[in-house]
Amino acid sequence: MDRVSVLEQEIADLRKVLHEKETELYQIKNGWVMRQLTTPVEPERQNYNNSGVQYSGNLPKWAIERYSRQILLPDIGVAGQEKLCKARVLVVGAGGLGCPASVYLAGAGVGEIGIVDYDTVDVTNIHRQILHYERDEHVSKAESAAQTLRSINSRIKVTPYSIQLDSTNAMQVAANYDIILDCSDNVPTRYLLNDLSVMLKIPLISGSALQMEGQLTIYGYRANNNPKEMNGNYTGPCYRCVFPTPPPPEAVGSCSTNGVAGPIPGVIGALQALEAIKYIVGHSHSGLLVERMLLFDGDDTTFRTVKLRPRNSECAACSDTPSICQLLDYETVCKTQAKEKKKEDTLKSERRKLEKDKRMSGQSYYGFRVKADGTKKWVQDVPKSERRLGPRCKSELCAKGTSRKCSMITETDRMDMFRHFWNDLDWREKKAHVRSLVDTVPAKRRRLKHKGDVSRKGDSKRYHLRSGGERMPVCRVMFLNTLGIKEAMVRSWLSSSDRPKTPKKALKALNVNTFIDRIPKMAPNCKICSKNKEYIAIDNVTNLHQLYNLYVRECAVQGSVPASRKTFSKVITTRNVKMKNVCECITQNVWENQMHVGYSV
Amino acid sequence: MPALKINVHFGGGAELLFDKIKKREVELPAVDKYLPECEKKGWTIRELLVWIKENLLRERPELFLQGESVRPGILVLINDTDWELYGELDYELQPSDTITFISTLHGG
Repeated sequence: MDRVSVLEQEIADLRKVLHEKETELYQIKNGWVMRQLTTPVEPERQNYNNSGVQYSGNLPKWAIERYSRQILLPDIGVAGQEKLCKARVLVVGAGGLGCPASVYLAGAGVGEIGIVDYDTVDVTNIHRQILHYERDEHVSKAESAAQTLRSINSRIKVTPYSIQLDSTNAMQVAANYDIILDCSDNVPTRYLLNDLSVMLKIPLISGSALQMEGQLTIYGYRANNNPKEMNGNYTGPCYRCVFPTPPPPEAVGSCSTNGVAGPIPGVIGALQALEAIKYIVGHSHSGLLVERMLLFDGDDTTFRTVKLRPRNSECAACSDTPSICQLLDYETVCKTQAKEKKKEDTLKSERRKLEKDKRMSGQSYYGFRVKADGTKKWVQDVPKSERRLGPRCKSELCAKGTSRKCSMITETDRMDMFRHFWNDLDWREKKAHVRSLVDTVPAKRRRLKHKGDVSRKGDSKRYHLRSGGERMPVCRVMFLNTLGIKEAMVRSWLSSSDRPKTPKKALKALNVNTFIDRIPKMAPNCKICSKNKEYIAIDNVTNLHQLYNLYVRECAVQGSVPASRKTFSKVITTRNVKMKNVCECITQNVWENQMHVGYSV
Repeated sequence: MPALKINVHFGGGAELLFDKIKKREVELPAVDKYLPECEKKGWTIRELLVWIKENLLRERPELFLQGESVRPGILVLINDTDWELYGELDYELQPSDTITFISTLHGG
């Protein structure tokens, strides 16, 4: 094992050295390229782009050679390549779509690529996010992607933004770009990018992928700066023209819960890059996916292009008199978090209780996964439908016979019984209700064929429904469907009796609470923070570990049993006690200011 | 009026509410027999949604319908064209039309 760790360390060191040398080479090369390009051939025909890299009217020799295979295409040509080298593209999301899209853009020599992602690389991302490698785990996705893009094409400018794009910073980031590629994975960011693209009058190439399907289209296309367009006033629809209202949050799936096949975002991402290249070299809207949507189904490998509605002249975002003139708080508008919550541990028990309450009141809920051996897996994501009133008994036997009175119960009675059962009774009362309506009698046997055999059936059940105070005998189907329950539930309720619940042991958290009450604390200095926050004021205690040790020592002196570390930290969190008197909102502000300096240069 | 044969397709995850079947060929009965209170002669999308809810939808209707229309985020296509261009709910179905319900994806 020693040899393994030594080798791992050596490899890590070598990688570091390699990275340093690569960066150095990249800088020297770039400087050299700049100098080479600034020696003017025909100064009056020089063009500049924002990255400071200059391209003369004629492409440099290396560029002609390097991009020769795409320059050969009549659609691109030398003129198209010049446009590509001057283009600036913002890729939002360095995930399944962002990675393949930016690879092709970098390969095609797009002059400047900005890549935005707040997240870090996780090992579960690598199957589809092809710019990240195993060694990049826990590294910022934007940084990791930028590094790989630089190694693909060292002649272009790549800017990583490791930030969460929101209404406060989006405008500043996007103002430097000509096209936005929407490779994000959530609804708020999609609406944010749409409004942003409409305000900046730049197109939004929007891709999405989930499970085995992908979708792609271009929103907010404007013809006015393309000389090839027949109609210079043409404007394509925006996202809000097609989807004016955000979908309900429970209807939105994500790759981490619903899964995705790696090549699906690969296909869509590559096509996003193609559309971006076509737009840059100046294709007209009839050749681009404007007012059309591509649907890719990986299940049967079919591509379909469907026609979308044109721009809505009363759209809230892109009409001539828009009602949305500045960026909004999209997380509130869409009732969804843009950032996926990774830590769910603290919420698990609450979630379990919530789902249990829903289940017991007959609503739809999420159940546990069940393993092949029938045991529960503690992951609660299996959707279960709500309780419903089933169809009534339609049996002719019930109608003809005199013993059962199924046909006498009206549909409104059934609805009332169903509502009473699920809305008015608690779980214990439900059980009692069912027990009062079902009688158990010795097994009846009618079939002559088995006469004399010992029946394996333990008993027969007689079902009743209570209507207007009267207990009416009904058939099994009528009974179960009216209450919206299954037979197994009745059987288990009849066989078990209610046991009183064993009272839970007193929480150890109690002595943590008294400990926290005792120790010296102080109020926060910061005025922005909520008032109910407190800070620990003990010398030598700067972290939770030290505080816990102090607590354990105190418990030993008192002779009481200390609570576990987990319980301890939970209590600390619920009491809102913090360790250092440095406010989080201050540190965050400092960090954001640094970020602004970082990308406004 | 004879029965009306049309194709109904689901995609983008909407098929999960319909037994995971993406493509169906359905035969609609005469509208005045199926919905006697409806005073129309032909099927429109509005009645089709009612028929789908009662005959095809397996679970969680709130993830497909909202009021008498589909919920936000579902794209309805009539012969591969956005239904807005055909008058949305009031479009009268023709024999062998293809009606597609696509749930928009947001993953990436």
